[in-house]
Amino acid sequence: MPAESSGQPQACPLDQAGVRARLADASVGIIGLGGLGSNIAMMLVRSGVRRLVLADFDRVEPSNLARQLYFPDQLGSLKTDALAETLMRIEPGAELTLIPERIDAGDIARVFGAVDVLLEAVDTAEDKAMIVETASDQLPDTPLVWVAGLAGCATANAIETQRVGDASWLVGDLEADVRDGLPLLASRVMVAAAHEAHIAIRILLGMPEA
Amino acid sequence: MQIELALFAKLSARYPVGGSGREPRPLEVEDGVTVGALVERIGLADEQRITFVNGRHAADDLRLAAGDRLAIFPPIAGG
Repeated sequence: MPAESSGQPQACPLDQAGVRARLADASVGIIGLGGLGSNIAMMLVRSGVRRLVLADFDRVEPSNLARQLYFPDQLGSLKTDALAETLMRIEPGAELTLIPERIDAGDIARVFGAVDVLLEAVDTAEDKAMIVETASDQLPDTPLVWVAGLAGCATANAIETQRVGDASWLVGDLEADVRDGLPLLASRVMVAAAHEAHIAIRILLGMPEA
Repeated sequence: MQIELALFAKLSARYPVGGSGREPRPLEVEDGVTVGALVERIGLADEQRITFVNGRHAADDLRLAAGDRLAIFPPIAGG
């Protein structure tokens, strides 16, 4: 299916206050709070989303600071706790549900059954496949955004958003795999994160197509 | 019967019939073929993949119908 058009800009159906009011009532789930998920959460909260379900079992490590929204004084903290601390500084009214667990196939419907949009933001191919397949089967009407291809130094313009199913959007360049030894650059990872955050916002605003 | 086959990313090198580039293309298959049997025939049985039929995730035992769109994606690591 075609990528979203980069042609004429569409009119936004709401003004700034209207967008924030619409997003304030929405709930978004994020699985994985690394380079993608931590930055997606920040962009969503800054945009007006107040209710987030955030899942990650990991703790902040020094290597994370190169592209993830954590700080040296948070080393060793659970990512859920560290990110919540930062998000609450941005929006004290945020309502955050923290899930400091590894999400497996048996958890997705229970943990994310009430969200309006679910975002896959994990790093391994195995976990990505599990999340896409399980969420598609168990939450077939919940919009799911997932990522394939954000590593390396190639042009960031190769990263795009495309709708690949009734309730499924795919972000990425469909090529660059960290298993091929490619580095993860903050700039390119954040482009993919911004694509995920932006299509989530568009879905919530009722404009999920190009 | 005819279906449409869409192979994404590196899997597009495995299209079994002619066509141009990476574009989805029609494919003649026998009536009632399962997703799993067709995937094996294409040579993707051992590949990590995410499989959709008509925009929804499909298990390997799903039987395809004429006009179905089979899309296969390779999960790509990094996040």
